[in-house]
Amino acid sequence: MSIEPINLELCTGCGTCQDICPVDVIRMDTAQGIPVIKYRQDCMLCQLCVVECPANAITVTPGRLSPVSVSW
Amino acid sequence: MTETFKTDVLVIGGGMAGLLTAIKARQQQVEVILVDKAYAGKSGQSPYADSLCPFNRKWGHNLEKWLHAVNVSGEYINNPEWTKLVLENSFAIYKLFKSWNIEFHKNPDGSLFKKEMPDGGGSTVFFHKNQAPQAARKEALKLGVRIFDRLMITELITSDSKVIGAAGITAENADLRIFNSKVTVMCAGAAGFKPNGWPIHELSGDSDALAYRIGAEVLGKEFTDTHMGNRKTPAFIPFAEQMKAGAGPNTGPKFRRILNAEGDPPHFKGTGGLWLSNEFEIHAGRGPLSAEMPDGSMMEFAGGTTLGLASHKTEGIVPSGLTCATTVDGLFAAGDALGNMAAGAKYPFMGFAITHACVTGCMAGKNAADYAAASPRNTITTEEINAVRQRTFKPLNRKGGFSPRWVIDVLKNALSPYFILYIKHEDRLRGALTYINFIRSHLLSKLIASDAHELRLAHEACNIVLNAEIKLRSSLARKESRGCHYREDFPYRDDKNFLGWIKLKDIDGKMTTLFEPVPEKYRPDLSIPYERRYTARIPGELDHFKRTL
Repeated sequence: MSIEPINLELCTGCGTCQDICPVDVIRMDTAQGIPVIKYRQDCMLCQLCVVECPANAITVTPGRLSPVSVSW
Repeated sequence: MTETFKTDVLVIGGGMAGLLTAIKARQQQVEVILVDKAYAGKSGQSPYADSLCPFNRKWGHNLEKWLHAVNVSGEYINNPEWTKLVLENSFAIYKLFKSWNIEFHKNPDGSLFKKEMPDGGGSTVFFHKNQAPQAARKEALKLGVRIFDRLMITELITSDSKVIGAAGITAENADLRIFNSKVTVMCAGAAGFKPNGWPIHELSGDSDALAYRIGAEVLGKEFTDTHMGNRKTPAFIPFAEQMKAGAGPNTGPKFRRILNAEGDPPHFKGTGGLWLSNEFEIHAGRGPLSAEMPDGSMMEFAGGTTLGLASHKTEGIVPSGLTCATTVDGLFAAGDALGNMAAGAKYPFMGFAITHACVTGCMAGKNAADYAAASPRNTITTEEINAVRQRTFKPLNRKGGFSPRWVIDVLKNALSPYFILYIKHEDRLRGALTYINFIRSHLLSKLIASDAHELRLAHEACNIVLNAEIKLRSSLARKESRGCHYREDFPYRDDKNFLGWIKLKDIDGKMTTLFEPVPEKYRPDLSIPYERRYTARIPGELDHFKRTL
C-alpha cells in the first residue's frame, strides 16, 4: 500500500526520489546516505519516484494509508 | 535562518507555464528566480500532460471554426480574445518543442498522428513521452535562471498595493526565504483541495489564495472539473510502467463507453470535453457507473478525483488586458493560475490546458521582463520581514491545536459528496459555507505543526479553505446553470443575468462578489431559440420552461 520500503540493495543513494517527490514523503538520511520514507501517509501514489529512480529501487502499490473520500 | 534574494522577475511554480515564463523573461536579459514547492519540471499537472493542440492552417485547420467550437462548448462565456491568442500562438509552442527534440506519436507510415476535434476546426497531437517539462528545466538552467526547488511560497509581499516580492519556507528545515522582486509571476496551477485521485495531490490553490489575500480578483470558481477514477483504487492510476516505456498517461487502454446501472449510456450528453453527464446519472439514482474496457470487462468509476479544481481554464486570477498582467500592480499570472476564461464554462478538448499554459507562460515571461526593466525595486523593510516571520511560523510555535492533515481531511470529507460542488443547490451550498466558515474561523487560527513538513501542510490548509470559500460563494452567486456549473434550483442558462464572469475580491476584509458581463460583441445571437443556442440538455430544464411558459 502506497510507497513500499525502498530496496536498499539496489538504491545508490543519489537522492533523486527526495528531490522529485511533489509531496515531500521521502527524506535523505545524510549520515547514512540512504532515503527514508518519512511521511508515508502523504504518499499520493503518483509514481514519479518509480519512474525517475535510476536504480529501479522503488515500488508503489495501490491504496493510500489514509481513507480516500470520493464524490460518488 | 533567513536569507533574502534579489531578482528582477520572480516566478512561482515550475510547471510548463512557470518554466516558459522564466525562459522567456531570461531571454530579455533580466535576472530570474523560479521557485517551486516540489521540483520544477516534475511538479503540478504538467508531468501528466500528454497532448498539445497546435493550430496550423497547413494541417487543414480553420481558426474561425475552432473558435466557434470553443465558444459553443464554453457556453458563450469564454473570452474569445484569449482563446484566439492561445490558438494563434500554439504552433510556435509545437515548433519550440520540436527544437528541443520532444517526440510526438506517429502513424505507422511515419507521419504525425493527429486526432481531429469532434467539433471540427483543429486537431490534437500527442507526446511520445512527456519530456517537455524536463527539457524546459534544462533550458531555463542553461540560460541562467536560478531555480529553488522544494520551497513553498507562503505569501506575497506588497508595498502601497504593489507586489514587491514574496516569502516562503524550505521543505527541509522551514528556513525563511525572502525574495525581493520587481515583478512576480504566479504560475502555481489550478486550485485543488489536495485531491485524492489524479496525481496532483500537491495542488492546494496557492496561486489564487496568495493573490486574493493581497487584493487580486479571482474568477471561474463555480465551474467544476469532473475527472473520475477507478472505484477499487481511486487514488492509483497504474501508469508508471507505460510512462517508463515512453507513453503518456492517457495513452493506455481507452474505454469504449460509459454505462449506467441500467446498462444505458448517460442520458444527458454535452459538447466538448468533460461535463456533468455522469453526475446527473448518479443523482437520478442510476449509478454506479462503469466503463466498458476494450477487452469487454467493466470497470466501476468513482467521482471527485480532482476535488477542488475548476475545469481547466475557467478559474484563476483575473487578468488586466491581454499581457498576463493582473489587476494588482507588479503581479502577473500564467497557466491555470491565470483566470482569462480562454475556455469558458467547460473544458473544450484534449491538449488545450497545456497549450494554454505554454502560450501564456511565453507571454508572461516577455511582458513581465519588460515591466521589470522599466520598474524600480522597492525595498522590503526589516520590520516587514519580522512580521512575515511571525505569521509564517505561528503553527510551529503553538503548543496545542489542530493538525493540518486532519483539517484538510475534514474539509475534503465535507465537500467531496457530489451533491455539494457538482449537483448544487442553495440550501446545501449555504450549509457547506457555514461549515467552511467554522473551519476558517475556529480551526485555522489554531493549526499546529511539529516540523517543516507539517508547516507546509498548515499553509496549504489555509489556502485550501480560502479557495473552498471562494468556490462556494461563486457557486451561490451564479443563480443559473452553465457548462460545468449546475444548480438544481436554477436548472437553465439565464442569458439575461449571467452571460458574464463572477469575480471575487477582498474589499475591506469582506469577500465581495462582482459581476462583469461578456462584452456586447461576443454575446451569442439571442434571436437563436434557446434550445438551439444550448444543445446540451440538463435535468429539470424542460420542467422549468413548462412552468414558466
